[in-house]
Amino acid sequence: MVDPVTATAVAGPILDAAGMKALGAALAITVTGLASAWAEKEIGTAAIGAMAENESLFGKGLILTVIPETIVIFGLVAALLING
Amino acid sequence: MRLLEKLWGRKKSSRKSDKKKKGTSNYAYAVTRVRAMKSKLMPKETYPRLLNMSIDEITRFIEESDYKSDIDELAMKYRGADLAEHALNRNLAFTYEKLLRITEGEPNYLISEYLRRYDVWNVKTLLRGKQYNASVEDIQESLISAGEFTYTFLSELAGKESYQEIIESLVETVYYPILQEYDGTNLADIENKLDKMYYSSLFDAIGKPRSKDRKLFAKFVKLEADVKNLGNLFRLKKAGVEQLDEIMPLMIEGGFALNTEKLAALPYEDFVEELRNTEYWDAISSVMGPDMDSLTALESKLTKYSLESATTYSHVSPVSIVPIMDYIIYKNNEVNNLRIIVRGKEAGLADTLIKDQLVVI
Repeated sequence: MVDPVTATAVAGPILDAAGMKALGAALAITVTGLASAWAEKEIGTAAIGAMAENESLFGKGLILTVIPETIVIFGLVAALLING
Repeated sequence: MRLLEKLWGRKKSSRKSDKKKKGTSNYAYAVTRVRAMKSKLMPKETYPRLLNMSIDEITRFIEESDYKSDIDELAMKYRGADLAEHALNRNLAFTYEKLLRITEGEPNYLISEYLRRYDVWNVKTLLRGKQYNASVEDIQESLISAGEFTYTFLSELAGKESYQEIIESLVETVYYPILQEYDGTNLADIENKLDKMYYSSLFDAIGKPRSKDRKLFAKFVKLEADVKNLGNLFRLKKAGVEQLDEIMPLMIEGGFALNTEKLAALPYEDFVEELRNTEYWDAISSVMGPDMDSLTALESKLTKYSLESATTYSHVSPVSIVPIMDYIIYKNNEVNNLRIIVRGKEAGLADTLIKDQLVVI
């Protein structure tokens, strides 16, 4: 990340307050998106494994797989609050 | 950590197993699937029911479970206890093959190394069969193609005329240098060497364990070696073998809690006293007595202990190789139990006698 103070000193205001906010919001979405993707991958593969042996676990597997989706929703909320 | 090591240009760690590791491992998938498979194993309440059935009823009963396709396919060829035995062996081989299919990378490598025990088992069966002039069918009955060798290859070997031809066919395998020493009389020695070779190559595959799950896996294998050694020590002591140089070549090196050298040198009473200080004492104390005429109870206690420890370890490290190993030995135990029941019934043994042989958890 570019240090805003240095950036201002060298080449003028690349990141003003609005830019910082946008960057914060983007970070909130990106990091939570990656985190939930990773968690869903782990749970999803495990759910598929269980389903391969026992099809009746489909419902439970599906629910458990989408639970980490909450992480990215929190990220979205944080991003909206930052921009709001 | 590895990234940091790369950045700093440090030498890669010398863990043997890491070198051979290929691809990524899919523990989450494999472990959940294996746990689902474990839930399908027969519950302990089934065994008393099976004891009350005849062989045909048992065959029909296991046909309704996981063994359906095996029984269906073999029913044309075999009958009675032979059918059940072949179906059980086939199912075991298929199940282990499935484990290799659903895993990749590290677990796949470790499982395939562990399953080499069936290759050793099959080679031993073939040689023993030929030594005692068993029929091809009898040999085939005891083959379990769960290792690297396929059933077709093994049954071809069983059809060979002599043990020399079998050994010649195995020229490209790692067992050949040991098998070369076989001269038709030293079978026990060869079998012992094969077993030792299996364990040393398994320990080699595990390497120097660093992560928690690898440590547990190593502990699990060491425990198994200990259980084997303990059983052998009891048998030897009972047979009156006291000489250290006779006992030590039979011991598997690399055990966990047993100092085999110290134990081997002791006479029977002191040997039992010494066992009180080991962690196995709690498991076996109930069957230990001054006049133990049979080692069956002891062996089944030891097997039970290793099964229970495997389960405990698998709870300590839930997403790792350990739950998969846990399943492997539980499945093996189920097949063993069913085989004992079927063969016991066929031989007309009393139900109580069969029950004593079972390891039920």
